[in-house]
Amino acid sequence: MSQVPASKLVTLQKLTSAIFGNVYNPTNARTGNKILRARLVGPTINSYYPNVRPIKMREITRMAPEMNLIDQAEKVRLEDLAERKKRGKGPPKKGQGRRSTLKKK
Amino acid sequence: MPRARVIRDIKARATVASAEVVRQAFRYLTHNTELPAKVRAQAQLQLNAFPRAARPTAIHNRCLETGRGRGVLRAFRLCRFQFRIKALEGELPGVKKSTW
Repeated sequence: MSQVPASKLVTLQKLTSAIFGNVYNPTNARTGNKILRARLVGPTINSYYPNVRPIKMREITRMAPEMNLIDQAEKVRLEDLAERKKRGKGPPKKGQGRRSTLKKK
Repeated sequence: MPRARVIRDIKARATVASAEVVRQAFRYLTHNTELPAKVRAQAQLQLNAFPRAARPTAIHNRCLETGRGRGVLRAFRLCRFQFRIKALEGELPGVKKSTW
């Protein structure tokens, strides 16, 4: 057995790493490469809950205004509001509300 | 409409997904011992500046049916009660009640 100098062993190590695609890191210093290697988990995490948000009538009418669809609930609401206003139950004008009349007294 | 905790979890998941790439970059800087200490400390401060919801640990699997946060079977995404109900109804393919 012939003695191999340490410097030659080091160059051998470097060459082996280069050939086999490894990183030459003799002191085992932490380089954080495992973080760069890690798979991104965001898409998996984000797809846990199925997207079950109900579609609003308003979105449909906005997407297809040429179809002239009528939102029945909205129509009823507006009719009710008009009815209330006729009976004098509508919102008071600015400066006519309870708070401002209290202040005036 | 899902429960408030479920909504919070959905939001947290979206935050994690959107902030993940930048967070991983800062995490790489902090974990790399070959970088100067100042850079690593600054990266740590940047990591702390992210909202709590940006951390993957802020995510908690919840039951899809009831929003329950405990006793959720990961494979079915259901809590144990809902799992039992659905399994007995036969809604979960391949799940069978056994006795021995």
